[in-house]
Amino acid sequence: MIKKVGKFIISFKFAIILFIVIATYSIIGTVLPQGAAVEFYLEKYQTFGNIIVFLQFNKVYSSFIYITLLFLFIVNLTGCTINLLPSQLRRLSDEYFPGPLKDSENLWNEKMDMENFKLSLGKKGFKIKDIEKGFKASKHKFGVLGPSVTHLGILIIILGSFLGNMFAQEGFVNLLPGESNTFSEYGFTLKVDDFYLGFREDGTTEQYYSELKIIEKGEEVKSKKIWVNNPLNHKGLNIYQSSFGWVSNLVIKDKEGNVLEKKMLKNNQQHFYQPKHLTVYLYGFYPEFGIDQMGQPQAISQQMKDPHYAVVLYEFNNYIDSYIVEPGRPIPYDDIEIVFEDSKMYTGLIYRKDFGYYFVMLGCLLMFLGLFLSFYFYPKFVLVEEERVLPITRQNIWGFSLQIKNIIASNNKIKKGEI
Amino acid sequence: MDIIYFEELFFTLSFAIYIVASIGFFVFLASSKEKIGKFAVIASISGFLIHTLAMILRIIESGRLPFSNQFEFANSFTWGIVLCYLVIHFVYKFTAVGAFVMPLAFLMMGYASMLPKTIKPLMPALQSRWLTIHVGTAIISYGSFAVAAGLSVMYLINEYKKDKGNKKGHMPNAEICDYLSYRVIAFGYLTLTLVIVTGMIWAKSAWSRYWGWDPKETWSLITWIIYSTYIHLRFNRGWKGKTAAWFSVIGFICVIFTFVGVNVLLAGLHSYK
Repeated sequence: MIKKVGKFIISFKFAIILFIVIATYSIIGTVLPQGAAVEFYLEKYQTFGNIIVFLQFNKVYSSFIYITLLFLFIVNLTGCTINLLPSQLRRLSDEYFPGPLKDSENLWNEKMDMENFKLSLGKKGFKIKDIEKGFKASKHKFGVLGPSVTHLGILIIILGSFLGNMFAQEGFVNLLPGESNTFSEYGFTLKVDDFYLGFREDGTTEQYYSELKIIEKGEEVKSKKIWVNNPLNHKGLNIYQSSFGWVSNLVIKDKEGNVLEKKMLKNNQQHFYQPKHLTVYLYGFYPEFGIDQMGQPQAISQQMKDPHYAVVLYEFNNYIDSYIVEPGRPIPYDDIEIVFEDSKMYTGLIYRKDFGYYFVMLGCLLMFLGLFLSFYFYPKFVLVEEERVLPITRQNIWGFSLQIKNIIASNNKIKKGEI
Repeated sequence: MDIIYFEELFFTLSFAIYIVASIGFFVFLASSKEKIGKFAVIASISGFLIHTLAMILRIIESGRLPFSNQFEFANSFTWGIVLCYLVIHFVYKFTAVGAFVMPLAFLMMGYASMLPKTIKPLMPALQSRWLTIHVGTAIISYGSFAVAAGLSVMYLINEYKKDKGNKKGHMPNAEICDYLSYRVIAFGYLTLTLVIVTGMIWAKSAWSRYWGWDPKETWSLITWIIYSTYIHLRFNRGWKGKTAAWFSVIGFICVIFTFVGVNVLLAGLHSYK
């Protein structure tokens, strides 16, 4: 029984079943939102929510089922490959020559000049071996290894990405120009010297630029301007331009202009001013202010052409009023004034280290090489004996026969020309 | 009269010619008149040339390859389908397959014509030399799968007729359809692998991770798995023929879904509007 199951697990049939199951299972993750909070599924899908969470459909690609499927796939792939390897290695030897297959068509015709045909095959890279009543020609014997090389590549990709993900380090930082972040594990500090946007003539954003410095033990060791598609790499850690945003300076003053409180706010953040039980909510900062079709404020561009703030005030959580104001213009409330003085852009950087990538790329290279061998350098044989010319190949007999037919036809033409 | 006017004119003209060519191929299949077959091929070639002209005008107008929004993808995809068909036609002298490929081309172009055609500058994430390689290989790969699906449908119709004992019509030899669709899929599969790998390299430099289970990524993997199944069925002699042909058709449905469905139905990093 165990032997039977083991045999099945490394069988061709099981490989096909796994292909279909993995493909179908992967679809779930593209249809259901992934990685949201459990409550989201329970609320949105009611009863099915429990099933979704139980079967881990909320995180399909890291679920127990998916990992089990991949594990079975690795076992199956390894088993299939090892099973096939001995016979593939045998077919590499000089002596190996396959017998005629049932789909080999006899291409012999009486006009053929065998010596000429032999020469032509030789010119096309075939190795020729004379036999009693004819010859054997073979080419691309090494191509038989194509499938195994492909499979090895795929194994390296899966295992490499799996290990890589286990040890990968990843994170996100928002930094204003002048601020820095220390990566103590790596022994360096990242400083943002400047961050700015590039604009096209029509005002649309062309690119996001961060000017970065790497500082080790108080000394600058590297500096680079990064943008999307052009990250910085230091000690294996890659730093990517990912996003940006605005921070705005909120100042609360009294009527005489004395500053009572200061705070930096991002869009959609709020500040609670305790003495008045006042909540200042910054709905948004718009560097070039406009109104959209729904009557909502919007940024026409990120250029500082016509800056405005959208602000909402609450007292004890009761709505007071909402305001659209320019920088520096005070919003009076009781005996105080609320002012947004100016705004600065911060840069959003992703950092990531993942050695798995290099294994995955190695695997991809092997896979590509293996596929190329399988499809274009597959082993080809021609058996020529008395009145028989048999093209033999296990893969593409139709295409290969066509090639041999063309060789025979062009030989006959040359002969006619000579006569 | 500016460049855009002529681009739209040529686009519409080639669209019309592709429809004429498709009808021509069907009449050819039904009537077996060589002349009509030749006419359909000539129509396809002239449609392709005018389409190419429209694409060149767009390249001149925008100053870059037409690879940046769904209209441009669909337009290039159509171009790739017709290119792959013409290559197959000239290498293997296989006229009849046009009847099953040209309709795909004009359907794809019809889809393109419904999308906004405005030329917009490239967004920051798309500004990379990988764009040309990634999308360029995708066009060739998708085009080959379209041709292969056409061949497989022909094979299946042939088998169906054989079962019914009906031998009328101008359908080419079933066995050749079977072999040829395998060769075309092998090529498309190799290029699809390249599409995925170049996408991974690009994703690493743009989004920090080479694979993130974005719907487009996942669906390209699903497509790749379906064609892997096809190729394994071909290698295993017992399963080639009908089963494999069905997988070729399912594979192409996946290609279309990856291309159109993912953008329309599922949100993700690849939904370039």
